[in-house]
Amino acid sequence: MDNPLKELEDELVALHPVRPSQRLERRIAAELAPRRRVHWLWMALPAAAAFAIMFAWQMQRQHLSPAEWVTNENSIVEATQPASAFKPVATQNLLYAARDDGLVTLEDGRVVHRTSHSYVDTVVWRDPQSNASVTWTVPREEVRLRPVSFQ
Amino acid sequence: MTLYRQTSANPRMEATLNDDSWKDWFQHHGPKLLLCARQWTRSLADAEDVVQEAFVRFWRHQRHLPGEPRALLIASIRRAAIDLARKDDRRAAREEFSAEETSRLFESDPAGDERVQLIQSAMARLPEAQREVLVLKIWGELTFDEIARELDIPLNTAASRYRYALAALRQELTVTENHG
Repeated sequence: MDNPLKELEDELVALHPVRPSQRLERRIAAELAPRRRVHWLWMALPAAAAFAIMFAWQMQRQHLSPAEWVTNENSIVEATQPASAFKPVATQNLLYAARDDGLVTLEDGRVVHRTSHSYVDTVVWRDPQSNASVTWTVPREEVRLRPVSFQ
Repeated sequence: MTLYRQTSANPRMEATLNDDSWKDWFQHHGPKLLLCARQWTRSLADAEDVVQEAFVRFWRHQRHLPGEPRALLIASIRRAAIDLARKDDRRAAREEFSAEETSRLFESDPAGDERVQLIQSAMARLPEAQREVLVLKIWGELTFDEIARELDIPLNTAASRYRYALAALRQELTVTENHG
């Protein structure tokens, strides 16, 4: 690169981009703040109450006698749990790095051309009824080996 | 033949990117990430939105991944910006970088303020493709290889766009200075 361009490049490197606003930092801080852990009892009590209500409602609906409760226990449990609530709604494969390792020799003596690709795979499931969502993010490295022949 | 394997966490990065250090890390890299985001968004508010989305995702899920974190973050910011543009059908407007001319891109002291303004105006007049590479190289601190992969262009194209951008910028600055 000629000198004037190098000088300009150095001048640009010395410039400092403006700082993000305090508002942005506050928003990020709020999102990254540790979630308060709820004691299990506070989760268990409402869950038990909800289960009891559902159980009673189910009994009333089916007009079952106490003797029949035991035999129909499985169907009651099934009725209180919505089937296939979460459905996959989005997937993403983000390639963030790739590397060419060149020619390598495998243990069996074959020569191959090896390339490595690093991805982040993300899958989102959503429950259309409650609008609750689950996001699953996992790193993945893909190594491709292509046989090489020398002719 | 394709093989898959799960990558393990990188102990070096865990040491530098621990839970308490996000503010330090963001204060150091945030301005550069925001400038990169502004190349792909219509407004400063949109740029901050995509930086927030990408950074929170990175800090929660991706900071332990091996590799250069800034390259991953910039890729993530670009995806978020493209998604935002698609969502709001603002792609055409996104390309009108000149609309952002009035918004400052760089810090400046009173002594060098005029020069910084000249550089910013000259950058605004660069073709978008050149300006994008220039910003990713200078302030994103990506290599030409990383830029080529991110923008899906040949490596030589990335390098030549960078040189054209610098040459055009120098010419703009020279002409402006000569004509007062």
